[in-house]
Amino acid sequence: MPHSNLGLGLGLRNCHFNHILSAWPAVDWFEAISENFMDSGGWPRHVIRQVAEHYPLALHGVSLSIGSTEPLNFDYLKKLKNLATEVQAAWISDHLCWTGVQGINSHDLLPLPLTEQSLKHVAGRVAQVQDFLGRELVLENPSTYITFTQSTLSEPDFLRELCKQTGCQLLLDVNNVYVSAFNSGTDAIDYIEQFPCEYVIQMHLAGHQHCGTHIIDTHDRTVRTAVWELFRLAWLRTGGVASLLEWDGNIPPFEQCHAEILKAKDYMLGEFDPANVAISSETEKETISNPVGFLVPGVMDRTQAEGA
Amino acid sequence: MSEDTISLDAIQVWLQNALISPGSTSCQEIEKHLRPSAQLKAAQRLGIYQRSYYLRLLQCMREQFPALCHALGDQLFTDFAREYLQAYPSESYTLYELGRRFPQYLEQTRPDKDGLQQARESWVDFMIDLARFERQLFVLFDAPGHEGKLLADRTVPDHVLQLQPCFALADYRFPVASYYQQVRKGNNPAFPPEGHSMVAMARKNYLTRILLLTPTQHAFLTLLQQGHEIAYALELMALQLTLTVEYVYESWTAPDGIRKRWIDAGVFIHKGICGPESIV
Repeated sequence: MPHSNLGLGLGLRNCHFNHILSAWPAVDWFEAISENFMDSGGWPRHVIRQVAEHYPLALHGVSLSIGSTEPLNFDYLKKLKNLATEVQAAWISDHLCWTGVQGINSHDLLPLPLTEQSLKHVAGRVAQVQDFLGRELVLENPSTYITFTQSTLSEPDFLRELCKQTGCQLLLDVNNVYVSAFNSGTDAIDYIEQFPCEYVIQMHLAGHQHCGTHIIDTHDRTVRTAVWELFRLAWLRTGGVASLLEWDGNIPPFEQCHAEILKAKDYMLGEFDPANVAISSETEKETISNPVGFLVPGVMDRTQAEGA
Repeated sequence: MSEDTISLDAIQVWLQNALISPGSTSCQEIEKHLRPSAQLKAAQRLGIYQRSYYLRLLQCMREQFPALCHALGDQLFTDFAREYLQAYPSESYTLYELGRRFPQYLEQTRPDKDGLQQARESWVDFMIDLARFERQLFVLFDAPGHEGKLLADRTVPDHVLQLQPCFALADYRFPVASYYQQVRKGNNPAFPPEGHSMVAMARKNYLTRILLLTPTQHAFLTLLQQGHEIAYALELMALQLTLTVEYVYESWTAPDGIRKRWIDAGVFIHKGICGPESIV
C-alpha cells in the first residue's frame, strides 16, 4: 500500500467534472466519494476513469458503516474493491461512525459510544473488511454534536487502540477536530496532541459554520483561520502527510477550491501558537451538517430533447 | 452476540428512531444516553442531528426531481417528500436510490385515491407522471450504456439493428417531457392540459436524448423491445394500420424519416458488433 505524501488534493465533485476533463488542472491528487462511482455505468464512471489516468486518486466512503451492529454489506464491499482496483486507488477510507441499522441508511455519519465494547466490535469489523479488500482501511475521525453518557474512552485513545489491534490507518480531519471539540467542550489542541499521529497518512480540511452554541460541519466555505492553525500543529505532529480540501456546499469554481487548498503551504512552516486557535465570535443560523446534496448529479444538464 | 453488543445495538436503534421519528423519544431517555454541553441541553444536541436528517435528504430529493419540485412549489414538494421519507427511509448505501419509490408513493397516497376513477383530479396524475419521467431519466443517466462501443450508423441494414442497452420507452397522461424541457430552460411553464404523450429515451455520449413519439412509433419500438426484428415489426404495423408493407417500409426509410432520426439519436446498435466507438 502506498504511503507517500500525495501532496495537496481536492475532493472530486460533479460540478467540476467538465472543467477537469477539459483543463486538466495542475492538482496533486483527487479524492472521490466511493458510493458515487461504484454502481455507475454512466457519466460518473467515465469521469473517474479519465481522472484516474491523469492523477493519483483515493476513494473516500460515506456508507461503509463500520460501527453499525448490522452485518457488513459484502455486496457493497465487492463493488468497492472492484472500483479501487479499476482506478488504482491510493487509499480506501471511510469514517469511524455508523450510518444505519435495521436495513435503513440515515446517510449521516453517526457517532459511536466510545467504550471498550465498541472498540472490540469495530476492531472485528475492520479486520473483516481489510481481509476482504486485501488492504488496510483508513478511518477518519467524524464531526460530532453529541456525547454519549456511556463513553469511557477519548477518541484519540479509541483510534490508537484500533490501529494497534487491526493495523488500519487514519485520516485526520482537522476541521472535524475543531467542530467536535467545540461541541463537546473539549480542547482541540489537546486532541491533536493526544492523537496517534504515527498512523495518520492523510488529512482533511473544510469550512464550518459557527452557530454560537454549537458548530456545524458544513463544508460550504473557506477553511477558518483557527482550523488552519490546528493544521499547522497537525502537520508538525504527523511529519506532513497528503492533505485535501472538502468543499461540498455552495461549491465555487474549481480554481477557487484549488486556491483554498494551496493555502496549506502557508501553514506547513512556522511556530505553532495556541493563541491562534481562537473561537470565532460570529454566529449564523444553522444549516445542514454533512451535506450530501453534492452527491446527487445534475441529471437535467445531461438531457436533450430531440431537435433541441 | 454478547450483552455489550446488544447494548450497542440498542443505542443505535434508539438514536436512529429518534432521527426518523423525533417524537419517539423523551427528554428523560435522551438524558440517559447523551450528555449536555456547556451551552446546549442533551435534547438540543440531539436536535442538530434530527434537523439535519430531513434537511439533508430533502435536498437530495429536490436534486432528483427538479421539475416536480418546480411544479409543486418548494413547500408542497417538501411536504410530500418528507412524508415519503418517513414512510420509506433510505435502504441503500447510495443516495441514487433515494427517489426510487417516490412515483409509486405519490400514486398510493394520492388524496383522491378512494374516489371514483372519473372524479380524480388531473393535477395529481400530472405530478405522478412527472415523477415517473424524472426517475426514468435519473436511472438512464447512470445505467450501463453503449459508450465506448459502436452505435449503428445509417448504412447498417435493418436486420442487424438492435435497440441499445441504455434505452427506455414510456407513455404518460400529460406532456411531461415538454414541461421538463421548459423547466430546464429556466422558464416557468403553466400546468399543461391533459394529453397522452409517448417518449423514447436513449443515452448517447453520456447525454440522454428524449424523443417524442406518435402512438404508431411507440407501438413499433415496443415490438423491437420485445425482441422482434424490424421487418416483422413493420409488417405488423402495416397490418394494424391497414396500409401496405411497401408504404410503411418507404415511410420508415424516407430520407428524413424516423430510421435516420433514431439512428442519429443513438437508438440503435449494430447487433453483434461492439468495436471502438467513432464519436459522431
